[in-house]
Amino acid sequence: MIKKRIIPVVLLKNGQIVQSRLFKRHQVIGSPTAVVERLSNWSSDELIYIDISQHQLYDLSRDDLNQQSFSSIQEIIQQVAFKCHMPLSFGGGIRKIEDIDMRISSGADKVTINSLLYDKPNVVKEGVRKYGSQAIVASIDVKRDESGNFIVFKGGKHPLSVQLQDFVTQIVDLGVGEILLNAIHKDGTASGFDIELINIVVDLVSIPVIALGGAGNWEHFSEVLEKSNASAVAAANIFQHSENSYYKCKEYLAQQSLPVRFSSKLSNQSKNL
Amino acid sequence: MIGIVNYNSGNFTSVFNTINYLGYPLKEVNTSFDFEDCTHIILPGVGTFNYAMEQLDKLNLLVPLKQHILQNKKFFLGICVGMQILAELGNENGNCNGLGWLRGSVEKFNFNGEDLRLPHIGWNTLESIESNVLLHGVNQQDPSFYFVHSYHYYPSDDYSYNIIYSNYGYNFPSLVQHENIFGVQFHPEKSQENGKILLKNFCELV
Amino acid sequence: MTRDKVTYCKKCLVPSYSVNNMFDDEGVCNACRVQEQFDEITPDFWAIKEQKFLELAERAKIKSKHNYDCVVPVSGGKDSYFQVHKALEYGLKPLLVTYHGNNYLPEGQRNLDRMREKLGVDHVVFGPSIDTLKKLNKGCFEIMGDMNWHAHAGIKTYPMFLATRLKIPLVIWGEITWSIAGMFDPEDYVQYNKRTVYEHDMRGYTVDDMVKRIPGIAYKDLAWLTMPSDQELEESGTIGIYIGNYFKWDPNEHAYEMQKKYGFEFSEKPFERTYRRMSNLDDMHENGIHDYLKFIKFGYGRSTDHASKDIRSGYISREQGIEYVRNMDHIKPNDLQRWLKYVDMTEDEFDTIADSFRDPRVWWIENGYWYKQNLWGVPSAYGKVKLKQELWSKYL
Repeated sequence: MIKKRIIPVVLLKNGQIVQSRLFKRHQVIGSPTAVVERLSNWSSDELIYIDISQHQLYDLSRDDLNQQSFSSIQEIIQQVAFKCHMPLSFGGGIRKIEDIDMRISSGADKVTINSLLYDKPNVVKEGVRKYGSQAIVASIDVKRDESGNFIVFKGGKHPLSVQLQDFVTQIVDLGVGEILLNAIHKDGTASGFDIELINIVVDLVSIPVIALGGAGNWEHFSEVLEKSNASAVAAANIFQHSENSYYKCKEYLAQQSLPVRFSSKLSNQSKNL
Repeated sequence: MIGIVNYNSGNFTSVFNTINYLGYPLKEVNTSFDFEDCTHIILPGVGTFNYAMEQLDKLNLLVPLKQHILQNKKFFLGICVGMQILAELGNENGNCNGLGWLRGSVEKFNFNGEDLRLPHIGWNTLESIESNVLLHGVNQQDPSFYFVHSYHYYPSDDYSYNIIYSNYGYNFPSLVQHENIFGVQFHPEKSQENGKILLKNFCELV
Repeated sequence: MTRDKVTYCKKCLVPSYSVNNMFDDEGVCNACRVQEQFDEITPDFWAIKEQKFLELAERAKIKSKHNYDCVVPVSGGKDSYFQVHKALEYGLKPLLVTYHGNNYLPEGQRNLDRMREKLGVDHVVFGPSIDTLKKLNKGCFEIMGDMNWHAHAGIKTYPMFLATRLKIPLVIWGEITWSIAGMFDPEDYVQYNKRTVYEHDMRGYTVDDMVKRIPGIAYKDLAWLTMPSDQELEESGTIGIYIGNYFKWDPNEHAYEMQKKYGFEFSEKPFERTYRRMSNLDDMHENGIHDYLKFIKFGYGRSTDHASKDIRSGYISREQGIEYVRNMDHIKPNDLQRWLKYVDMTEDEFDTIADSFRDPRVWWIENGYWYKQNLWGVPSAYGKVKLKQELWSKYL
């Protein structure tokens, strides 16, 4: 039977990998590709790599670091794809079909689409037609406000007036293969996932849903798997906080007899990077 | 010499990079002449059955494929859609003829009401991995590979192929072998260690 | 951001391009925001943090049986004393491990030697050969403008390597070294991980790079820079934690406390580049030329960093901080002379190589002098350009 996936998420901002808190504050983790190598060493199920840069500058111009300097997002994607030995989804900065073309031909297996779902649904349809539904992931940012209502945000910033349920149905009609559901109010809080929100979306669709936002410990992951029918659980910050983190997460979930892919093999090389 | 067919069907680069990483002599194949010095042919594939067949036809690859694989019996590995087109027929976008090297057809998963999602995306395990030469050395504790598809091969009743199954609602063929022809529904180039082992086994076939 | 319009944190003194830091929409840096979070931690929360440390200590004691419970990496500095002090307070049997980079000030060496006796603990001191050290000092300066690479690499690698080999389950590090850039929140409970060491402490350079690029360095010369593999770490169960995540960390307080309890010595002479007297007695170049090179590269150094830290902790005002920076950030320190003799280089050669690492986002050349923007809003000159003429174009 198919396993539930545990998917690390990596955010790129202005040439550096960052942690995110409530979509507002960003803290530096390191260079664009070192994290990818470690996640690959730990046999991650997939990788979601999202570019949240505000401008086109990807080069830190520091000569004192032994780091490849990148002058474009395409170069970064190519390097990431080269080092990523698992399926790669790439998101951010996608405005037209050529942007999708470039990312797929540079090595991404899938693209995650956010603003375009609302702004230019026809481009999304074209992407589905060209690359198949399995290559197009709809990324939906949702916030729960103080009164408990769910609000959809475009690009994580602009609140939309459309209802969550209607928006999700519209998205599915475009033919996308998966949904990446991002809970803004949980982002970087380490307070657990919003199970209610996950279930609302999962029950509305018949395509796989990836839940993201709120992971603070390994129990949070098992909670999603036990209390919802999400096909995958994703997290960003937590995998950067300790050694062999992803491995330990899988080990915990396997010990709970949850259906995840786990083999107790780790690299025995001194130099992992 | 490992030949990887590039017919604009998506994941050529990943397959090429992985074989290269494994250290085998390899080349890109997109004309009939390119087939000549190859001993092994890999046909990657992402996207639809129809599109794959159209592209192979447009690039005049159907004839050399038949010659080198069916006649010269060179080793062949079809990946994902590259495996699906081995069948006689696919009905993804209306009926479309495949290569017909395997009897049977390609159709959507049919769950008979069970609540299972499509596409079938993620890691799934293979059964009886000792039964096929391509799977020797694959991790027995975790014989999983990465799948991403909504359609699969349905063999016709009178076949004599070596078939390895995976389970998604019911058992479906994830690996098929008929003499020198191999097809895998999953993506070995995306399946980390197990994938590399499988590709290595293929490249080592004599 | 143009070179003359550099912005500085509204609360402390760091520039917008400061290493690994980022400003938020209000112009305040991550380090200040993280400090705010630490300040907001209530006594109840500190109690929860202490509890987490207790659990980790218990886990270590159970795993270790007759072995040491933990390794404490120490330099002999004020932080080292505090780390060991805490380990002992919670009933752990520590093994102290020191990477000795051969740059100790006399009072720093005395503080180091004193630890065994004053704290009643076992202590391993490891030092690479002086010959290897000299080659690394010179080579790393030429490659990346940092002669102290060996120390950052050694300090962060050797204790983990030893702990894993000896199957000691816990390594107690001190300050969360990235607090300087606010990279993690108190709730992250970040633990030691190789990627951080590789990217930030070793700047992405590995043993392979050293062997390839420095004449006379072979793999066996760097056998001490062996990082435990993922598999080894899982098998020995060794994890590295940072005491700063569990207990209130105040270096100024620590220093005075350690002086009172254990006779910890402060620096006899004031440092030239910072006003603090209890930092980095273990390495005369950390506050000296290593930091001077930070100024050469990025236009700011330790006085900015220390003053910013003290502003965040409420010890000094922003105005006082600016004064320290104005007086001390740019000073070329005297330990340079010791270093030049150590590696057999002239001051001119040093200046020329140093200049090649100046960040073009910060520095520009006017009339043969280096210019940069300042905290107090007016750019000024900082010495003659020693850089080779053909490399000037990106600074004009």
